[in-house]
Amino acid sequence: MNEMVILAFAALIIVGALLTIKESDPFRKLISLGIMIGGVIPFIVDRGLLDVAIAVALIAPLSTIFTLMVCGRGEE
Amino acid sequence: MDISLLAFAHILVAAAVCWLNFIVIDVFFRLPEAGGVVGATAIGKHIEKGGGALHGGYMMGNIVSSPDASAGTLLAACGVFIAGIPGGLLAALLVYIGNRICHDPGYAGTTGCLTATFIISGFTLIGFSPAEFIAGMVIAILTIQGISHRHSSRLLSTLWRVRRG
Amino acid sequence: MTPQEAALAVCGIIAVYAAVRVALEPDTLRKLPFFNVLSFAVAGSIALIIPHPLSIIAAAAYFVGSTLESNAIASTYAGGLDRRE
Repeated sequence: MNEMVILAFAALIIVGALLTIKESDPFRKLISLGIMIGGVIPFIVDRGLLDVAIAVALIAPLSTIFTLMVCGRGEE
Repeated sequence: MDISLLAFAHILVAAAVCWLNFIVIDVFFRLPEAGGVVGATAIGKHIEKGGGALHGGYMMGNIVSSPDASAGTLLAACGVFIAGIPGGLLAALLVYIGNRICHDPGYAGTTGCLTATFIISGFTLIGFSPAEFIAGMVIAILTIQGISHRHSSRLLSTLWRVRRG
Repeated sequence: MTPQEAALAVCGIIAVYAAVRVALEPDTLRKLPFFNVLSFAVAGSIALIIPHPLSIIAAAAYFVGSTLESNAIASTYAGGLDRRE
């Protein structure tokens, strides 16, 4: 990765983290958390840890689904 | 400088090819007809509320909530970039598994992946790199999902009306 | 600049653009198409960073995972969790 791509993915992590702090609705918080995970995975892959990247890519959505079961909204 | 300009020109051509591939296959497999899951229907209705067209919104919801021909084209480009035609076939298998996980029959994604594999490996014979097709597919999905939901959903609805006859 | 670096630069720029559009969109369900663009860009750049056979599986795993996440968020927001119509 060159400097520009590193900056782009770092910006993704920072935007995701700040947005997670700022939002108050749980669904919007989960989407922002997804942005942050999307920025983290290229750095894991860049170190050559592909098995760790696969594990993170599978565990992160599963934890989101378990969180969604807690904060299910249903039909109003 | 010259060679990078050539790469960007190749990326634009690749974007047009990928766009045609996934739109034709998605419309052929009737993705704009209805939302496949509850979430896709809800996304279509919200896009209509924002000024778009309903059937285009359903198709965008279906693209969001299960891997269809667009995901097939992207993963086929990744597979051909890494391992040639066998990589593309492995990507088709992975797309099929992903479709089954997301409660989808999986015809559109697998078909898109197989056709994209052969189209991309054909383009490598005339000097294109498969890496350019990965960037091309990202640009193609950006034009549908990422610029203006109102205009892209109207375009998709027009195509759906042509398909339905 | 090789084709690979040019493609990686395009993916990075589009990922940042998609993140900004997600941040600025007021409607929760209409955030999800922009989030989908972001996961396309990240899945493509996983394969572009390391051309290794395992990275096809990593890209597919990330993509299917993020699709499943969007599906679950949209379905729960609209009503029941993952129920077929």
